[in-house]
Amino acid sequence: MKTFNTNNDSDIFLAKWLEGELSDNELKNLVSEDDFSAYLKLRKGMDVSEKLDAPITDTFEKIQNKIEDRKQKVKPLYKNWSIGIAASIIALFGLFMFLDNDKVSIETGFGESRSIVLLDGSEVLLNSKSQITYNQDGWDKERTINLVGEAYFKVAKGEKFTVITDNGSVTVLGTQFNVNSTQDFFEVICYEGKVGVKTTEYDYVLLPADAVRKVNGYPSEVSKTSLNEPTWIDGESTFKSVPLRYVIIALEDQYNISFDTIDINDADVFTGSFPHNNLNIALKTVFETLNITYNEKENRNIKLGYKE
Amino acid sequence: MPKDNRNICHSKTFETIYNLYAKDIRRFLFFKTQNVDRAEDILQEVFIKLWDNCSKVDYDKVKSYTYTIANNMFLNEVKHQKVVQSFNKHNKKESTNESPEFILLEKEFMEKLQNTIARLPEKQREVFLLNRIEKKKYKEIAINLNISVKAVEKRMHQALVIMRKEIGNV
Repeated sequence: MKTFNTNNDSDIFLAKWLEGELSDNELKNLVSEDDFSAYLKLRKGMDVSEKLDAPITDTFEKIQNKIEDRKQKVKPLYKNWSIGIAASIIALFGLFMFLDNDKVSIETGFGESRSIVLLDGSEVLLNSKSQITYNQDGWDKERTINLVGEAYFKVAKGEKFTVITDNGSVTVLGTQFNVNSTQDFFEVICYEGKVGVKTTEYDYVLLPADAVRKVNGYPSEVSKTSLNEPTWIDGESTFKSVPLRYVIIALEDQYNISFDTIDINDADVFTGSFPHNNLNIALKTVFETLNITYNEKENRNIKLGYKE
Repeated sequence: MPKDNRNICHSKTFETIYNLYAKDIRRFLFFKTQNVDRAEDILQEVFIKLWDNCSKVDYDKVKSYTYTIANNMFLNEVKHQKVVQSFNKHNKKESTNESPEFILLEKEFMEKLQNTIARLPEKQREVFLLNRIEKKKYKEIAINLNISVKAVEKRMHQALVIMRKEIGNV
């Protein structure tokens, strides 16, 4: 701290203080308490009186600007409104577009099957690990469904009804049919009416009890079925001369398990069925007939092999 | 033409009224708020309001009208400040709107101060005004008056001592 308490400076310290060269605390040490507060008040009073006497023209300009700003704001406000309206219209349109494109997607998990009634009263039974997507809007004009997996369709009479899969499409007018499109396995069975099947190579027309199947790029083949409806609807998967690979996929989808097929020939053909509610019976019915052993190595992973 | 002179919505008249009363209203608002910036802000609001209501205000009553708005706006501000303060208290925040050694400047004090400045001895007053009003440094004043810096500081010191005596106990 500087000391101004010398005789030399005793007659100028207030000037120094007013100029800021001497701090308030330093002044406090030089004068009495009453004097100190009086000087503080004097300084403040001087500052304020200068400010109060300061010209008021600047303030008038500010007032004019504020009034002007407000006047001009009328237009921007309108602009903002129109932008807002435009934005909400766009947003609404966007929403409608979304609604327009309102794709319904229904998916089943392992071992789950679902029955879906479509807008026109058509029924879809979705087997496990399958998915359908369709466009809700304009359904009455265009009945198109995308399918991955297996589903049984009971189509109400009406416009063309199309099921699109990766392996081909199925077109009907009003009938009952089953479509199974699992990986590269594609099978359509007609239970009632007339079903048009279009694969990459051929077009087929299926009559009741007709089935068409295409496996892994082999030429598709037509066969007959004796059933009135797919058995999986009643909790049983039925196969007729199906390569074991697809039966295993069906088992996996149904029971949420995985198989180690390294030791077996999964191209063997299987004919038969397995229930959806009992894994042991399912494994027994599928693999015992083929002389294959099954051991649960880890949780939900079953190792397949041939009997010694 | 005389009609226009009395029409507050006429920008010339509005400006005249402003020049006539603005300083006094600012002063009036300062004694209420004890804050120059707040006084300035309210002053602007007062005249914006006057402009908004220019057609409704009688020219002869414009003075009392502006003072009334000024007072009302001050009271509104106080009300608002109270809300803010109680909000801050509620949120347990330190309110720092006033410095701890707050000095109240009464109207009487300010009048006394101005009289005292006016009645300072010529030499002291000259230095005081050059420093306070013209914002000149002691060094510049010394050159201007052709005296030493020390002499300037002495006069300034004396000016303050005289003022302190004149003001009396505060």
